[in-house]
This record gives sequence, C-alpha cells and structure tokens, in this order.
Amino acid sequence: MADPKSVRAPTTASLPNNLRIPSTTPSLTKTLGRLSRTALIELALYWLDDRNVTSFPPYLQPEDEANNDDEETLPYPAAETIAEVRIEYENFQERKGGKREVLERILEGDWRHGITLRQLAMADLRYMDDHPAGLRWTAMEISRIDMKAKKATDTQTEDWSSNIPRMQAATFVRALQHEIAPLVKAHYHLSRSLKFPLTFLRIFIVDSPYQTPRQTPEIFADATRIIYVAFPDSCPFLYTSITTAPAAKTGSTGSIANDPRTLQRLVRDAIPKALSRPQERYTLNPTALTAKNLPTLLALRGPGRTTAANGAFSIFADAALEGSPLDPRPSNTVSAEEHMRNGHEASAPLAEEDKENISNEPQKPGRPSKKRQLGSKPDTIKLSPNSKKRRLVAASRFGTTGSSTTPAPLDRLDIRLLDNAASTNDGDADSAPTSAAVSLTFTGSDVIGGIRRLAELGVVDPERIPSWMTGEEAASMMFVRGGRRLRSEV
Amino acid sequence: MNQSTRRPGEPPDPQEQELDEEIRALRAEIQTHKNRKRILSTALLSTPTIQSHLQKPTTLRTLKEDLSPLATAAGNHSVTNHHRIAFGATAFPFKDPSPSAPDENLLGVRIDVCARNGRFAKPYYVLLKRERAHGEKGKRFRVYRHTIPTFISVGRLEGVYLSFPSSEGESDEEEGPLKVLKAGARKQDLRGFVRELRREVVAWHVRTDAVESLREKLGLGMEDGESAQSPVNSLGIVSLEATAIEARYVRMEYEDGRVGRFKLSNSGIVERAIFMNDHGRDKKVENAMVGQGGRVETLFDRLKSVST
Repeated sequence: MADPKSVRAPTTASLPNNLRIPSTTPSLTKTLGRLSRTALIELALYWLDDRNVTSFPPYLQPEDEANNDDEETLPYPAAETIAEVRIEYENFQERKGGKREVLERILEGDWRHGITLRQLAMADLRYMDDHPAGLRWTAMEISRIDMKAKKATDTQTEDWSSNIPRMQAATFVRALQHEIAPLVKAHYHLSRSLKFPLTFLRIFIVDSPYQTPRQTPEIFADATRIIYVAFPDSCPFLYTSITTAPAAKTGSTGSIANDPRTLQRLVRDAIPKALSRPQERYTLNPTALTAKNLPTLLALRGPGRTTAANGAFSIFADAALEGSPLDPRPSNTVSAEEHMRNGHEASAPLAEEDKENISNEPQKPGRPSKKRQLGSKPDTIKLSPNSKKRRLVAASRFGTTGSSTTPAPLDRLDIRLLDNAASTNDGDADSAPTSAAVSLTFTGSDVIGGIRRLAELGVVDPERIPSWMTGEEAASMMFVRGGRRLRSEV
Repeated sequence: MNQSTRRPGEPPDPQEQELDEEIRALRAEIQTHKNRKRILSTALLSTPTIQSHLQKPTTLRTLKEDLSPLATAAGNHSVTNHHRIAFGATAFPFKDPSPSAPDENLLGVRIDVCARNGRFAKPYYVLLKRERAHGEKGKRFRVYRHTIPTFISVGRLEGVYLSFPSSEGESDEEEGPLKVLKAGARKQDLRGFVRELRREVVAWHVRTDAVESLREKLGLGMEDGESAQSPVNSLGIVSLEATAIEARYVRMEYEDGRVGRFKLSNSGIVERAIFMNDHGRDKKVENAMVGQGGRVETLFDRLKSVST
C-alpha cells in the first residue's frame, strides 16, 4: 500500500515498473500458480540474473540485526546474499518436486516484500508462451490512411513492400502513453516471445490518476484490466486480446469510466494513433478472424506463405504439389508429404516455422496422401476403394488444411447465410423475396479439421460443400451469399 | 513387431528392442535406396541422349512402345523443369474445386527462386481469376490467392499492373491509388506484374542470403563455438542478425557494447547505417559501412579498414 508520508498527486505518468503488489494477495498466488514448476524456477533465476537483479531485488537479511526475533520463526529465513538465493533455486532445478514449494518460496520467502508489476507481467507473458491457446485473439490489419498522395508517375521507383509501420519500442510506448494518459493509468510491458516470431505488449489499465492506486491489490491480477497486443514480425497485422464487440454488460456496477471495457476501447483506439507518424497515418481494420490459438493466427494472418492461400489452395502454400525444378521425378509420382519435406530442407527463410511443422508431423497410419505410391508405406491400412475416393476428393477440397501437417485449428466459426429463400423456387414470381438470414456457429477444438473428417467419412459430400467450410476463406466470421463470402459486409 | 509374444505389463526384452531397432534401420535404408533408384532411373530417362535416341525412327519399335509412357513423362517433366530453371516464372492452369465459384478456371503463376546454397526454395504461386469489369466487354485478371509473404504488398502491385476498375459505391482501401489513376481505361500488364513480383521475391532471398553469408563469415550460428577463432571476427562482432523476417534491417553488436544497424537495399547494398559507440554516433564507421559502393558482401573489409 501507499506510503502515507508520500505525496499523492494525480499525474499522467505510467504506473512504475517497481510498484509492488503485496505478496499476500490471493489473486497473485493464483496468477503465478498457473505457471509450471520449471517456468517458475526459470523466471526466478531470470530475476536473480546479474543484469536484472537491481530491478527485482529479493528480500535479504537486513544489515542491522536489531529485530531478528521474528525472522527465526518464518518458514523461509532471509538469505544474506543474492548468490545464496540463486543457489536455492538452482537446487530446485536439480531435484524433483511440486511447484507449490517454489511458489511459496517466491511469495513468502525471497519476494515477501511484494511482487512488482513488471514481475507479474513477465509471469503472465511466460504463461502465454507456454499456453498459446490460453486467450482469444483477434487479428487486425494495419493499413495506411493517406495513400492518395502517391503520384502515378513514380511507379518505376515504387517500393512494393507492405505498409508495416516501423516502430521503436520505447517511442511507441511513449506515444501510446501520451494518447491514453489523460484517461487511463496504465502499466506497459513489452517483450519478445520466446517461441513465436512475435512481440508482446501487455498493458495493465487502472482508472486512478495516482502513481500508487488505492484500490485493493486484487485488481492487479484482474484479467479484464489486462490487454495484450501482439505484433508479428514483418506483416501488416497485429493481434489483440480485446474482444471486438463491446456488448454493454448490464450487470456491471459503477460508472462508465470504471468499466474495464471502456478503458479497453480507449486503449484500442490509441494503438493506431501511437503507430502513426506525421505524414504516415495508420488505422486498424478488422479481418474477421478470431481464434484461440496463436499459431493459427500466425498461419492465417502471419508473415508466411499461408496467409492468402488456404483450404484447397494450401497445397500451394505448403508446396505439396510440385517439387523443386531440380527434381527429375515427374511430380505426380511423388507423394505430397515428400514434396513438403523437400521444400522444408531447401527453404532457408522462414526455416523456424517450417521446422515446427516437421516436428508436428506424426507418421499417422491410415491417412495416405492423395498421391501415395502403392506399397511405398508398409503400415498403410487397406482402405475400401470408396473411402479412398472420398479421401482423394476431400484432399482436393481441403488441401493440407485440417490435416496433421499444418496445425492451424479454428475453435469457432460463425457464418451468416444471407440467401434469398425465394430464389430456390423460381416458379411463382409474385412472392416477394423473403430474405431469411441463417446464422451458423461451429465450435470445437478444430472446426475445419472436423469438417474434413466428416467429409472423409462420407457424412458430407466434399464435392458440394461451399468453400467457406473448407477453411479457404481463412476467417472465423463470414457473411455468405450463394456460397460465396461477401467482403463488404464484414 | 514381435508383439504377440509379449504379455501386457511385462517390460520389453532388451534383445527384442535391439532387433526392432535393427529392423527399423534396415527399412529406412531400403527406403532411401528405393528413392535413390527412382531418382536415378527417371534422371536417366530424361537425359538428352536417351530422349533423342528414342525419338529416332530407327529405334526398335517394340522397345519404344514399352518405354513410351515413362519416357514421355520424364521427357515432359525435364522440359518443364528447364523452363522453370531458366525463366523462373511459369504459368499453369488450375481448376478451382469450389462449386460456387463463378469461373472455375484459374491461371496459376509459379515463381522459382534459387537460393544461395544452390537449392531452390519452395516455389511461390499466384493464382489469378478472370472477372468481367463493370461496363466492359473483356475480362480482366484479378489476384485470387497467392503464397507471397505478406511483407510484399501484392495488393499494391496489383493496383498498378493489373488495374481493375472499381464498381460504384465500393471503395476498397487497397484500390486507393487505383481510383486516383482513373484506372478503368488502363490496360493490364500481367508480364509487368509477374516481373515486379518476382523481383521483390528474389530481392528478399538475396537479402536473407546476404545476412546468412555474413553470419557464416563471422562463424555465428554454428554450435561449436569457434566464433572467437574466426579471422574476420577479430573485429569483435558478437551478433549480427536481421531484425525481422523481411531482412530489410540488420543489427550488429560488438563485444564492447557498440551497436550498429543498417538497411539493405534490394540489390544488396548497404543503403543507410547507424553506428553507436559510448559517446554517440560514430560517423567514421557509418561512412565506411555505406561507402565504396556499399556492397554488403565486403562490409567486413571496410569495417576492418576503419578499426585498424
């Protein structure tokens, strides 16, 4: 809590990194408790690293040994040097045990004086790296507003690279702070993902103008007050954890300003402004994709090949159709998997992404590729000619989407069909066209993969299903008329 | 294997495991030999000697009939491959399998790029559909699907080279420059589109290859930790990497904390450079980095001449 002697005056500065949350806060235990044991130990060791220890000093034995009495009774006696603390966690690393002991040591022992906001942010982002399916992400497209100024004459020297705003982390955060400071108090944490080609920005918002808010410490771990923004490398998209439809919740108490949703909207509006520069203004456009999985977003709205080629066209994205021009074998005699593997070896850029795919490629028996040579695989289960044909057709519609080789599961697919009911019976011309909109929602761990399975089993006819069911549109929200997606509605 | 003899719950016999391992290794070996045989046989069939020999009328008729399907397939394939290697951009037809597509015939363009290691990268594809523009008789091309990395703006390229008159009321963001041009009357230039697109893709590969080669010269990225012994690394560079996948900006760091950052142009020239030491910007090093033509391949030579 705030030091009573310090002056409390409203400021526009951001919340300080070293603002400590009392370690007795129950929600803190919960937030840190989500992490695995190894993650906790690694985090603690990172905090104790020589470069960082000044930012996250552990609780050490006070120099003056005046009130040493109650120290003895505590379960974790304070260490004298940082090296001692470090050894403690290295010991944890060596032996096995539950994560409880590590968590208790952090909260009740070495950081008993409180966990700083920055530490909490790091713990949250670590959790995100370990659990990429933990949050719902919405992809937004960054586009420039003032493109009209371009002259037609300078096409020769035109630079064809996309409109990716170049930003410097500190400048961007300062600009964002400048935008939202009068309205929202926030804490920013910017960090690079360990697993994905992403940069995370974690914003914690609070509606107090004071450096040390008087609210209960519980709110520091309140998930509704935390906004994540992820910037993928080299592509004009960004992902946010903010839900796009701010449906007014009737049950929320307090004024509008207290509602975290209002604060979230303020932050969202500020992001494109913070990315903009003079003569270079950006705006965010929705891209109709919301998914619970970061790899999905990276595949469908990422820097790679799969962004604009999905469904039936994923064979092109994965280069499963033809091999390298140096391959003497005619391409229809080589299996798709082999093509993809060869492509993986050859491609130097985007190698990280590709390696990931390869390791996720279990040699599943009973899923033969469409061009598998007879007898090339000893463990192929004999299939009836009917189901074999179905699989071939399904492969031609779905490509490699929904198969084990390209994991990009959509957890939810919302479709609105806007077909005219009258258009089916042309006979009676008198009847006014009644437009009946039908909403369809598919949910599951992998919707497109599920539809593919159904097609392979013969439940749905793969030749007749519309392209939005094969994942070709790469969106989770669509308006469909006549089997085709309407772009203007979204 | 040998599963029937083992009861559930019993730990696997080590000898059995060893045999299993051996069988697996043998199978893998058989597979590699089979693959090799296939590559060799098709390569043999597509050699010019055999192909020209088969085309001679004097060749035995029976032999020709026996061989013909395989030989023609191999011959056709090698012709296709020669085109892909020589021209780098080839076209092919593709049928859209979607039942609701208004026109299922698509034109595919395949772009092949040869990387530094002599291998070809995964081919890039652009699929174009033909659509009738508003108030026009002929059909015009539109980009339908593509596998070009998103940092190359296919939309803007399309706006310039494959202009498509926008219908009234509809205003797409990407067609912004298009409307200014009053592009309705402009002819589409598919060759120009593919040429520029291929140039961009190749430029990206050139940039990544340049960064890769610099890293190799420094001995970075190799796990054996020989970076200190590498002769170039007497400069003391501890890290050099592209800041993003696009490989437009490269960041380098010296062991004494000096950092540099430079921008690579499409043709492999250091366009701009910033170098910081403890006292701020170091103009001398910056000038060396962009000077003398600025080729990225000779960057270390120029840096060395400054540091000594």
